[in-house]
Formats: sequence, structure tokens, C-alpha cells
Amino acid sequence: MISWIAPLQPLLLGLVLLWSARLKLLSPLAAAAAGRSALARLVGDTRALPAYRLVGAVEAALALVLLAPPALPAEALAAAALSLGFTGYLAYARIAAPESSCGCLSATRTPIRGRAFARTAALLAASLLALPATAGWAEALSARPLPAVALLLAEALLLVALSPELDRHWLDPLRQLKVRLTRPLPAGGFDVPLASTVEQLHRSPVWRETATLLTSDLREHWDDDDWRILVFTARHAGQEASAVYAVPRLRFQPAAVRVVLVDEPTGQILLSLQSPPDTPTPDWTRPTPAPAPAPA
Amino acid sequence: MTETVDRRRLLTSAVVGSAALAGATALGSLAPEAAFAADAQPVEPGAPDPNFAEGRVTGISAGMLFVTGSDMALWRIRITGGTSVWKLRPTTFDQVAVGDGLYARGLRLPDGTLAADSVWVNIVNVHAHIAAIGRNVLHLDHKGKRIVGHVVPGTSAARYNDTPAVADMSLLRVGKHVQVIGAWVPDTNEVEIATVYAAA
Repeated sequence: MISWIAPLQPLLLGLVLLWSARLKLLSPLAAAAAGRSALARLVGDTRALPAYRLVGAVEAALALVLLAPPALPAEALAAAALSLGFTGYLAYARIAAPESSCGCLSATRTPIRGRAFARTAALLAASLLALPATAGWAEALSARPLPAVALLLAEALLLVALSPELDRHWLDPLRQLKVRLTRPLPAGGFDVPLASTVEQLHRSPVWRETATLLTSDLREHWDDDDWRILVFTARHAGQEASAVYAVPRLRFQPAAVRVVLVDEPTGQILLSLQSPPDTPTPDWTRPTPAPAPAPA
Repeated sequence: MTETVDRRRLLTSAVVGSAALAGATALGSLAPEAAFAADAQPVEPGAPDPNFAEGRVTGISAGMLFVTGSDMALWRIRITGGTSVWKLRPTTFDQVAVGDGLYARGLRLPDGTLAADSVWVNIVNVHAHIAAIGRNVLHLDHKGKRIVGHVVPGTSAARYNDTPAVADMSLLRVGKHVQVIGAWVPDTNEVEIATVYAAA
């Protein structure tokens, strides 16, 4: 059993290390990835990129040695040592710079969590599995092509599943599919949201003239047929009053907004204001570029 | 209750029923000298704004909130009839609970209390990515930490591409960036969503 599994591990390890080295050596985002990683904390900001590139070079060299025949136990030991080093680095990063990015397989900002540790543990296990290998991976592949390919695919899938930086390629689409099938969020079905009415108020000519009088945020609101009534506290002529706005509820017509300032203890109306019906709607009240979807 | 209904009917008829006033009728004066009779207190540059308070509510008594600021400052915040209280939605003073966080703006009185104009309880403003969507729940990834955003049917609204808010949340997508204004559930990583801003 182990006789055909062991020779395949250097192939897997080599490919993963090459992938990892590609980011560190060739990617134009390497500098950014290095700056975000815990290396900046470990060796200093100025030396983070050279150190990052050095790690990449070591990875690439080890990958080539692993991929090239012959298969030697020393190669597997070196891979295990590298995996152990990664584990130590991750532990250091988790403790010393918990906000840092992994910088492992992708320049995407990836905080170090349990999956990163599980991935290095898997690589360590693969390295140890490779120790007893006597033949090269090419012979193992040609001897049992089907099980060999299946095993490599399974291992690769495991590594992908343990890589948070690859989530957007498979996990996010899966979750989007689930959302499309189950539709877990409400698709409307209730009244015009308050935020929509408040926005219409903010776009009205009446608001432009009276907003400076207000001292409070929205105090209360209720619906009355075609109108939604919004009450604020205002200060007018040194006197505290309630600013009562009536905003069209089911139509977008900011020019129709009206207000009265009421002194509530006495019920006296201090000020009443509404725009003339022919007030042109200013350009900025029209939603651009497309008209707003009519709230249900 | 009937008092509230009567008052609301009165205010409604005051603003809606005055349709007989033709055109741009202004009863009263909007002249600046009248409007700004009470001038604002200037704040010295660099000095803390004396008319602003933030912190966690540690005690509540009749019309007064006792608040411990994040700098351990102790605040007494007076809630008046003219104070607006926001807690996920415009609400009333009796909805404020011990342990809530708040921001308050008002006027510092000589006795040291802050007569609040506006109080925002548990309000949070979060930029995040949608990591997953469940039944009336958005799982948000906020700088690598998970925040659970509860959609409150009837209250939560969504604004897509800066168009007016709608109740339709179904255009939110996993993996996309959103901004959430909501009410924090104290001492948890959960928020109730008031408005979510997204591109669609």
C-alpha cells in the first residue's frame, strides 16, 4: 500500500511549493503580501520583502529537488523541516501579529486561523509519508495511473479546502448557489422603509429651508393615509418646538413635503411652510443615473 | 395610549390639514436672526466637545441615564421630551437598558448634566464582506472577524447603488462588500441591521 502512496507525495509537495514560490518570487503583489505578513514584524519592514523572496527561493529550490529524480529520504526530511518551520512561523504570527496576513499561497489578505495550521500539518504529514519512498513519482504514476491520480486529486482537494485564500473560487460560489436556491432574505413585502422616506425628506425644498432649525434626530413617525409624518425637535426664535413634517408615503415627490412647527404644550402653530406646487424639482433630487426602483 | 393617538391626530391635522394655505405660505418668520436666536457654544480647537458623550449605560433613573465613557468619564444624561432616541429605529426612552452603548449630543448644563438632543443607542457602522447568508442572517467578515447581522423584517432596509432604500434584501451577494448601520446587541458579535448599503 505505502509502496505506491509514498512516491507520489514528492509530486504533491513539489507542486504546492512551486505554487507558493510563484507568489513570492514572480507576483507583482509580492511586496504588498510581504508587508502585510508577520515577516514585517519579525525582521522589520525594510527586510520583509527580501526575507519573503528568500522563503520563496527556498521553496522553489526544494520543489525542484522534490520533483526531480531520484527520490531521496533527505528531500522528504527537508520538506518536513520546512513544514515545521511554517508551523512555527504561523504560531509566531498568531501570537505576535494576530492581525497580519498569512501570505502563504495568495496575496489576498488572509488572517491566520485554524485552517492555516491544519494545512501545514497536512503538508508535514505528506512529507513524512514520502520518507519511505524508494521509487520516483513517475514510476508510481505509470504503474497505477488511476488510483495515483485519484489520490493526488483527493490530497489536492484537501489542501484547497484548507486554504482560506482560495475560498472565493469555490466556497463563495457554492454559498451564492445556496442563497439562490433557498432565498433566505426577505424580498420586500412590507411598507416603504423609513430610510426611504427620510431620504425623500432630505431632498425636499422645505428641508433645505428648515433643517438648520432642528436640534434632534428623528423623534417619532407614523403613517396617515398618503402621508408619513416625521417629528423632530426644533428651536425657533429661542423657543423649543416640534417640527412636524408630512412626506408623501407612496410616491417620490419631494416638492410636496410640508412642515409645521408646533409648540406642543400650547398647541400653537409657530410656522407653517410648504413649497408652491410648481416648484421645479432641483437636479440633485433626481436619483442618478437610473430612476430608483419603485418601493413596493 | 389614547393620549398618543389624540396628539398624533392633532399634529397630523396641523401639517396635512393646512392645505388651504395657498402656495409658499409661511406663518412665522424664517429670518436668520429669529432662527438663530440661541447661538451655538463655540468649542476651542483640540478641546473635547462638551456637548457630546459616549459610553455604556450603567444606571437609569427617572429621565436620567448614567453613562461610563470609554475614557472612564462619568456622564449624567438628561432625557427630555424633545430628545430623540434611536435604538435600531426611532424609539422611546424606556427601551434603553443598562449595558447598552450610546452616543449622545446635547447641551451641557451648569450642573454637569448633558441635556440630550439626540441619543443613539448601540449604533454601529461596519464595513465588511458578506461571508455567508442564512435565514434572515448575514454573516459578515469584518477584518477577519465574524459579525452576525440579523435582518429584522419590517425594519431593516437596503440601499443599492445609492438609490432610495427598499425592503428587498435579496440582491445582497456572498463575497460582496457592504456597509451596515445597525444596533449592536451588547456584549456579543451580533448586530441588528437598520440599513445595509451595497452595490447591486
